Parts: sequence; C-alpha cells; structure tokens
Amino acid sequence: MENLQLLLDGFSVLFTLQNIGVTILGAVLGLIVGAMPGIGSLAGVALLLPLTFKFNPTTAIIMLGALYYSNMYGGAFSAILLNIPGDSPAVMTALDGYPMATQRKRPGQALLTSNMASFIGGTIGMIILTFMGPALADIGLKFGPAEMTALLLVAMTSIGWLVGENPTKGLLLTMLGILLASMGMDTLSGSPRYDFGSIYLLGGIPFTPFVIGVVGFAQVIKLMEERNKKTQVSIEKLTIKGSMLTLHDFKRLFFPAVRSGFMGTFVGVLPGAGATTAAFMGYAAQKSFKNEEPLGTGAIEGIAACEAANNGAAAGAFAPLLALGIPGSGTGAVLLGGLMMWGLNPGPLLFTNSPDFAWGLIASLFLANIVTLVIAWGVIPFLIKILSVPTKLMIPIITVVCVVGSYSTSNSMYGVLIMFLSGVMGYVLTKCEYQTAPVLLAFVLAPLLESNMRKAFIISQGSLDIFFQKPISLVFIIILIAIMVFPVVRPLLIRLGLMKRKAS
Amino acid sequence: MKKLALIVIVLIVALVAPLFAQGSAEAASTGFAPSKDIDWIVTSSPGGGSDIYTRIISDIMTRLDVVAGQTFLVANKTDGGGEVGRLQVSRVNAGNLANHTLLTFNSGDLMPMVKNTANRLANFTPIAVMAVDKQLLYIGEYSKYKNFNAVLDAVAAGKQVVIAGSKGDDIATYEKMIGELGVNQNQIAFITNDSTSAAITSILGGHVDLVMSKPAAADQYVVAGKLTPVLALSKARFTGNLASAPTLSEVGDYDDVEVPVWRGVVGPKNMTAEAAAFWSDAFQAVSESNAWKDEYINKYKLVPEFRNYMEAQVYMAEFEADYLKSLGK
Repeated sequence: MENLQLLLDGFSVLFTLQNIGVTILGAVLGLIVGAMPGIGSLAGVALLLPLTFKFNPTTAIIMLGALYYSNMYGGAFSAILLNIPGDSPAVMTALDGYPMATQRKRPGQALLTSNMASFIGGTIGMIILTFMGPALADIGLKFGPAEMTALLLVAMTSIGWLVGENPTKGLLLTMLGILLASMGMDTLSGSPRYDFGSIYLLGGIPFTPFVIGVVGFAQVIKLMEERNKKTQVSIEKLTIKGSMLTLHDFKRLFFPAVRSGFMGTFVGVLPGAGATTAAFMGYAAQKSFKNEEPLGTGAIEGIAACEAANNGAAAGAFAPLLALGIPGSGTGAVLLGGLMMWGLNPGPLLFTNSPDFAWGLIASLFLANIVTLVIAWGVIPFLIKILSVPTKLMIPIITVVCVVGSYSTSNSMYGVLIMFLSGVMGYVLTKCEYQTAPVLLAFVLAPLLESNMRKAFIISQGSLDIFFQKPISLVFIIILIAIMVFPVVRPLLIRLGLMKRKAS
Repeated sequence: MKKLALIVIVLIVALVAPLFAQGSAEAASTGFAPSKDIDWIVTSSPGGGSDIYTRIISDIMTRLDVVAGQTFLVANKTDGGGEVGRLQVSRVNAGNLANHTLLTFNSGDLMPMVKNTANRLANFTPIAVMAVDKQLLYIGEYSKYKNFNAVLDAVAAGKQVVIAGSKGDDIATYEKMIGELGVNQNQIAFITNDSTSAAITSILGGHVDLVMSKPAAADQYVVAGKLTPVLALSKARFTGNLASAPTLSEVGDYDDVEVPVWRGVVGPKNMTAEAAAFWSDAFQAVSESNAWKDEYINKYKLVPEFRNYMEAQVYMAEFEADYLKSLGK
C-alpha cells in the first residue's frame, strides 16, 4: 500500500493548475501527432523537447509523458479511417479497423472500440506499473539474449496464424519480410549488407515509410480503381448516436482488451521490444481465441487486442525507464536525454532521489489516459465525416498525407521513394491475394531475433545448450515445440478420443 | 489567365528574391563574419548524444553573441546511418553556403564512414575538437569476477569471458585491448549493442561478465552500487568514484590502452581558411565559457580538450590514419 500512498503524493504534485494544463496540452498534441502518419511519438517528443527546457523538470516530463501516451490513441484514427497507420503500433489496428469502418459501415464504433481498448489496456499497464514498477523492471532484466531469442521464436510462429489459407504464400511473405529487414548495416559487426553500393541503403529500409507504403499507399492505388464511387459510407449514419457501442459490442471488446493489456505491459518491459511488437503479438495471439467474426474482416476483437496491447506497452515501458534508467524504445531514449538536460540523473536512484518527479509522471499518465479518452470521444463525430468525402477527392488527400508522413521520418526524399516503391509492392501483393501482415510482422521481429540470437551464440560459443539451460528460455522453447507439433498431433488425438473435433 | 500569370510572377519573384538578398549580403571585408543563417548538420537522431552536444553549443554561441546575430538551423540527417548527411556536407560547393555549413563530427562518425564508404576526412575542413571521452570496464553486482586480474586468470584457465558494449568506439577499444593482452576474440568475446544502455541492461541481468562504458552512462549505476569499475582504458586513472579502477599497465606487464573518443566539428572541404579560422575562434569562445563547463562538460563527465582548426586537422588526420591502418586499408 506504500506505493498507493506514493501515487497519491504523485497526484498532489500533479494537481496544480499548470501541471493539469500541460497534461491536457500534451494529450491533445499527442493525439494530433499520433494521427499524422509518419510523425510518431519519437518525432513528437523530440520536437517538443526543446520547448520544455524552460519548465521545471516535473512539469516538462508530465507534458511529454502525456504526449507519448496519448500518441498511442491517435495512431488508430488514421488507421481506421484511411487505412494508413498514424504510427507503427497502429499497423495492426488497420487490419480490422478499416474494414469495420468501410465494409461494415460502423466507423464510429470502430473508433470507440479502439479508444475503449486503449483505455483498458493503458489502465492495466499503469496499475501494474504503480504496484510492481521496480519488480517488473527486474523481470525485464532476466530476459537476456537467450530468453529473448526463445520468446521471439514463439512470436515468429504466430505469423502462422496470420497467413490465412495458403501456408506457402505465408512462408514466402515471411521470408520476404526477413530479407528486406536484413538490408543495411549488420547490427553486430557494423558491416554493410545488401547495400548495392548505395549509401542510402547502408541505413537499411526505414520502417515508417515502408509501412505507410505497404498499407497506405497501396490503398490509394486500390482506390483509384474505384475512383468514381460516390462515398465510402452514406452520410446519415455519421452521427454520435449512430456511433455508440452496444452492450454486446462492449462485451466483445472487453476480454480481448484485458488479456492484451496484460500481455502488452509485459512486452513493453522487455529490452528492445516496444509498443509495435506488443501490438503485433496481441493481435496474433487474438487469432487463437474465439472471435465472433473472423479477424481481418472488421472484427471488434481484432481492434481491441492490438490497441490494448500497444497502450499497455507504452505504460510498461516506463518501468525500466524510471526504475533503472533504461529506455525500452526510441522514444524512451529521447525522454532519457530530456531527463539529463533537465538536470536529473536517470538511473536506479531516480525513485529514491526524485520521488516527486517519478510519481508525478506516473500520476500524469493516469490523468492523460482519462483526458485523452474524453477528448478522443468528443472528436469522433467530426472525424468520421472524413469517410463521406468522395473517393476521387480522397485519393489526392491521402497521397499527400502519405508523402508528408514518409518525408518527415528522416526529412528527406529517400523516405518518400521507399514509400512509393513499397506501395506498389503492397498493391501487387494484395492484388495477387497475398496478405501484407506477415511481411510487416517479419520485418519488425527479424532484426530483434537476429541480434539476440547472435548475441546468445557469442555467449554460448556457438552451443545450442544455452536455450535449454536457462529456465525462462526453456519454457518458451517448450511452448514453441508445442505450437509446431500440435497441428500434426491433433488428428491423432482426435482419433484416440482424447480431444473433441472442432465444431466448424 | 491574367490572374494566373500574376500568381506565377509573384511566385517566381518570391523564389528568386532570397537569392539576390543572399548575394548582396556577402561580406566585403577581408575577415569572415556570418551573413546568413548557419546550417548545422547532425547525422544522428534528435535527443541523442550528438544532437544534445550540437544544440548546447549552438545555444551558447547565440548567447555569447559570436555569430553576428545569425540563427543556427540544426538539421538531423540520419539516412544511410548518417553517411548521406556527411556526403552532402563534403560536397557543398565553394561560396557563401560552404562558409555557413557545419557538421558535428565525432570519432564514432569517422570510423563507420571510412570503413563503409569512400568518403574521407580530406573531404572536410576540420574546425575544432571540443572534448574527449574515455572508456572503462565495469563488473556487475552478480559478476563471477571481482577484479580484472581475476578475469585474466579465468582466460588463462581456458574460460570464455564476455564483454558487452556499444558500437564504433567501443569495438575499436576492445580490439586494441585484446591485441595488447594477446588473446583472441573467442577467449574474450565482445557483444555489440545498439547503445551503451542496452549493454548495461545485459550486465544488470547477469547475462555477460563485463560491460564497457564511458563514465557518464554508467555513473548512476556506480553510485547505486550496481556497477563497479575494474579497468580504466586510459593512460591514467580516473578521479572520483572511478579512481579505484587500475589502468592496464598496473594490472600486469602491458602497455596502457587508450582510444580517445573525441567530439568535434568540421565544415565542407570548400570552406575558406578565413571562415575556418572564424569558426575555430567561435568554438574556442564556447569552450572557455562557464556555460559550457556547467551545462555540458560536468554534466556529461567529459574531459575538456579544445583543439583549434589547425590542431584539429592534425589530430583527426592522425586518428583516421591509425584507424585505416587497423582496418588494413
């Protein structure tokens, strides 16, 4: 209960007019930054950091914390309405969000689902952070290269749930994702791979333009085929009343959100894995649970699973940052840079030396969570009007958004070029009935897997034993084998009467 | 049509006018003084070490009023691991722009550049070296070894020791160290992490034996008792809470190993000598200011070591030659 007391102290730090003001400001800015494709939390926090130097450190971090956090909400808006993920964790949201908004004609419900799930996932993450922050950070530390490798192997098999009917295609797409991800500088030795003599390719393929292209620009090309269609959704339905979730909807989103919230928080704590990985894993895991509609066709469960996971991860990532001074993501690293510039020393002593600061920040996350929910709810009726814009006008608008988003990742035309090329690739893949999700998932996970596996082999001098000697990694290896063997063994079990045939 | 023509004319004028403005403002006097905004390129992400370094210096320069009231435009060019930004700066044509372009340039930038591209220091005009940093090896709370002699004994007994560190400078320091110790990369292995904080994460979890870090990144962990310095990769011991770590020559019959990690600034090759001298003076003014000591050197625990443009030229060229030799190029 000591932590609860400290959290309340945190709230007393928070509840000054100025701090509440900056929380709201941060939350609003975060929503905007998150909704703009390409400008994710990393760029948002980095851009605003210099503005905060005149603030006192607590006020500054409260604003940036609120911005970082509400960014996870904003990313879903453009993913659902335009099929362009506003930031990378929202990639998975687009898979179900966009079909739900356009094909099922329930854009308001899709946005509300994502907001509610974000709120639930974030709240779970914050409660865990409050009571178990330092302990959680210690669990994260237990995940060394061997443990991370085993976990990521399990995550890689989850691609199997995403590939749909044709496993050969799925395997091909996964390989393509891995191949593209391995371009650029080798993470361990620093030697160039597949750079084809171009200095741009030395840095590899940047993730954000790649995603905007594969998901967003491919969508634009597809829209061109149907450019004379009037609007995507008839205008009558676009009211706040028509956007309310039914009790049944809420029941459908609640359990996936809770489950993903826990999982996301845990993934957020792990070194090197961020909100994006959490969202991918949350979504993939949801595939193995019961869904009322198949995922990928606009299922509420799908939106809830990934949105709750990424908000849980955003909260979870603060545990190693505050307890140990270890940034779990690029955004965390910028925040850490900020802490130093404000004259604080991030590290294991932060909670002891600057409790006001640490608990004020955690309290501000709670406030930001509520503020963002309310604001997001309020803007939904206006946002969904976007869908009533005729397709032929949407094409140039979305194109501009894609170009701006991909340009802003590194302020150069290189990102734009990558975006166009991967857009064409994404379109061709979709046209030939290849799903793009496995490519993206492999693209995110492969570099993590590669560097962890190679580190593990350096430690073990090339021996495989390391994966079996460490208890945590052994558990994941057993899960991995179970996942791989199960489809083969299942018919056998059914024949022996040990398992019931799945009712289909 | 008329309206359209008018708009086009206005647009053309708007585009061309600044060019004239620039031309007319060119300094007529013999010396150099900034006459336009200064482009300062940083080849790493906002919020990182190089970015903070750049923004602090540009801020102090503005406060000291040494740039004739001109504005710094700091641009982060991260494409191609920074190589694109460096190549752009090296190719700036002679003229006013070349004299108003700066590039943050550290040993950690030079190494991947000469290793992976054909770009060389000769394509830049060194302006200043501002500070240097050195490395130490630390053990964690749960490390098997309590000092560096124990590490060497374990290696002699055929055990493998694993060091975690970051890229660039750390790898160069590690290679020089095992060269001096006369062991191979299997006896003392090195794991490259994306950042020092990732390396510290792995030792806090007990996954590696030693971690290599500069004093600033490890400071809080030393204070908290989670890391203990065991070897100073420097020609002399450090001070303060790092004083307990011996140098390599104190540990045994070895020479001290030191790969100084420097932070500097360069301009394009086509920058004039007058401009280089002006900028060198401006950086010297920063290095002598109290703001620099308080806001940067002390906070990030670096060794202040100013070198002007002529000294920096020699220093950086020597560093490049050494590094090329170690690569066998």
